[in-house]
Amino acid sequence: MKYVATIHVRPKAEVRDPQGEAIVGALNSLGLGVANVRTGKEIVVTFDAADESAARRATDIMGRELLANPVVEDFSVELAAG
Amino acid sequence: MARVAILRFPGTWSDRDFAHALSLAGAETEILWHEDVRLDGFDAAIVPGGFAYGDYVRAGAIARLSPAIRELRRFADAGKPVLGSCNGFQILCEAGMLPGALTRNAGLEFRCDWVSMRIESDATPFTRGLGGEVVRMPIAHGEGCWVAGEETVERVEAEGLVVFRYVDERGAATAAGNPNGSMNNVAGLRNAAGNVVGLMPHPERCAEPLLGGTDGMRLLDRLVASLGTSPASVGA
Repeated sequence: MKYVATIHVRPKAEVRDPQGEAIVGALNSLGLGVANVRTGKEIVVTFDAADESAARRATDIMGRELLANPVVEDFSVELAAG
Repeated sequence: MARVAILRFPGTWSDRDFAHALSLAGAETEILWHEDVRLDGFDAAIVPGGFAYGDYVRAGAIARLSPAIRELRRFADAGKPVLGSCNGFQILCEAGMLPGALTRNAGLEFRCDWVSMRIESDATPFTRGLGGEVVRMPIAHGEGCWVAGEETVERVEAEGLVVFRYVDERGAATAAGNPNGSMNNVAGLRNAAGNVVGLMPHPERCAEPLLGGTDGMRLLDRLVASLGTSPASVGA
């Protein structure tokens, strides 16, 4: 079965996000009342798995072992059949 | 003669500088391509700076999964000295061989400058006898802000794992002396055993007077001395 996982990685709430802070300043220069920005990234992975639970296990490994650093980042997964 | 392995990943850029500096310290070096890393017969290993695998995902993230780092972990577990500088420090943290993580500099700027650091631990083969000294070394990084969870920071301090701490010109660990926002002004760390050390600055770039400083050579001299070969014996 083919699956497509959209994996979102973002800095943990307690970790500073200097890029987000810079974006706050830039957006406010447009005259917008922006209070806070958190940045992250989106990684779209197409892969094969036996079934949905196997696919979930695979995305968990992807997130933990490579795509997010558990010291500073969290990740979440949206899974769809491909 | 002490034999030191220098790892080269696609994107590593400080490997030949380390080979040159280590040769001045009296060591024999070999640069090992990441696909051919076998560390049997080596006395120490260096993970130099650069942008291993293009820093894709995060600095050091892809290197962490490479066979070269598996081999390096085995080598370190056997108690052999391992030094990671700049990207090498990032790789050692990503690999879990040192605590915490290195993130984007607090000011978002790539910092290329000289920094002062106090040597906080002499329980490593690179700093024996240097405890308390303030040294100057160059940095060149965009992701050198050391971050860790509260418990890890407490453990790192309680166990004396901070080896290098950024200080200002008066020798105090202030925000003014901190080039990247690292927690507790951490510039470099060791593991509990003391054989694995990582730091953001570049000792290989301050290894002879021509380069504007020689404090990096002091670390490499200590390493070579700890391996039982002094520079003086090289010509003998």
